[in-house]
Amino acid sequence: MPRPARTSSQVDKALLVACVLLSLVALVLPAPLRSTIAGGLRGSIVVPLAALQERAEVSRRAILVYDKSLRIADSVRLQASQAEVARAENDRLRRLLGLGAALRWGFVPAEALHGRGLGDEFTMTLTVGRNEGVVPFSPVVAPEGLVGMIETVDAMSSVAIVWPHPDFRVSAMSADGAAFGIVYPHLGSGATRFLLELRGVAFRNALLPGSLIVSAGLGGVYPRGIPIGFVVSELRTGEGWARNYLLRPAVRPIDATAVMVVLPVRAKEGVSAVWQTAVDSALRLVVAGGDSLNKRRADSLATAERARLDSLQAARPRADTGAAPPVPLGPAGKAAPATVPKPVQKPVIKPPAAPSTLDGKPGVAP
Amino acid sequence: MTTARGLWFALVFLVLVVLHYTLRPVLGWHASIDFLAIAVLLVAVRARPGVATLVGFAVGLVSDAMTPEAFGAGALAFSLVAYSASSLKAAFFADNLALNAVFVFLGKWVGDLIFLAAEHRLGGSEFLAQALLWSPLAASVTAAVGLVVLMLVRPVVGTPRG
Repeated sequence: MPRPARTSSQVDKALLVACVLLSLVALVLPAPLRSTIAGGLRGSIVVPLAALQERAEVSRRAILVYDKSLRIADSVRLQASQAEVARAENDRLRRLLGLGAALRWGFVPAEALHGRGLGDEFTMTLTVGRNEGVVPFSPVVAPEGLVGMIETVDAMSSVAIVWPHPDFRVSAMSADGAAFGIVYPHLGSGATRFLLELRGVAFRNALLPGSLIVSAGLGGVYPRGIPIGFVVSELRTGEGWARNYLLRPAVRPIDATAVMVVLPVRAKEGVSAVWQTAVDSALRLVVAGGDSLNKRRADSLATAERARLDSLQAARPRADTGAAPPVPLGPAGKAAPATVPKPVQKPVIKPPAAPSTLDGKPGVAP
Repeated sequence: MTTARGLWFALVFLVLVVLHYTLRPVLGWHASIDFLAIAVLLVAVRARPGVATLVGFAVGLVSDAMTPEAFGAGALAFSLVAYSASSLKAAFFADNLALNAVFVFLGKWVGDLIFLAAEHRLGGSEFLAQALLWSPLAASVTAAVGLVVLMLVRPVVGTPRG
């Protein structure tokens, strides 16, 4: 039988009053008792919910920490990449300073601006022009070697063709001066377009892969001795009287952001010694590195020997105890001479063989 | 309510309680969604005021277990809100979505006000900021989510009792 609506309403109100009263009692309970009841609930029926909440909060923290660590990693990666670029740039500028010091006079340093348009890989704009004394046909060089030649000159800027340009030509020879030829851009397809060709080498002059090719100084534009590239392989042609070689260029034009324009007066004087000096200084650096390593090794050996002798001396009976130190006897019963530690023999550092100059003559030892 | 519908209803209620302790902490919003309020209001519009009061009291007690310094405040707030909602459902729970949203909004806000007054932890400007800024914001978010929940569960648990 259904309950009358009035009774139901009274039950509802009674339940409300009971719940409100219980809530108020819970609110005014002493703190320790409230904590005990709350703890009891947390330890029984609320356990799964508390565990869920804990997991959720841990997840949120993990998400936040992951985002933060991702941001840190990103910024570190960015800084590292920028540091690498800055280091490479510093290295290049340092080498350019070295080239300037070797040239001493008759050159103009310039910034090279590379275009990004079609055909711009064959030319570069330099930030120096007629005002700085730049004239057409001046060679453009980098620390690694030949970049190209000035083609047109304005008052404050100039345009240079670089070696991939179809009109680029330079008379060249092997570093030992045995083989001569003309260097052209390699007009192949794909990546080989950015290689060079050495043509017209006498058939008797075979060049090994890796041989350095330098400018020969014939023709009056490029002075003798500027590195052009290295032999990669011989090109098979139908000509039976001469050899052609594929060269890997010494300079990648895209890397040449700072270059030197060698003025014609300086070019006439010759620059053979400039890149030779660079080679010599590199050799000197290597030798100096080896010397310092040997010296450090010898010093550490001497220190170890000294420490060993000190420890032996400390192990002997002291003089104030009255006991004379035992004298070792020789084979004939005579007292043997006191043991004297052998002096530490430093390793002999042989000077490196004098490098041959680009002309093939023996150079002066550094 | 048939047995199947009753089971569905219990499942929805359980899901809402679980969401309160999983999704809410993950989101970590200052004006957060109160899934417990939605669950209590969902019960309130389908049950008698007495039953709704009991459910509200139980849910409030569970939520108070996590905050022992305000133990009892949640139970009081949810009991009063559930009773009021159950008593006023005839006025509010027509098939009007806007009215349903207002119902959830008011339920959450009034519940928060009762909770804040009962726990008397905040005072002065903090109380005003919580009561007049954060609570209405949380109530708005809860109302929006509650509306979605009501629309989703209506086909399986049926329309509220008139």
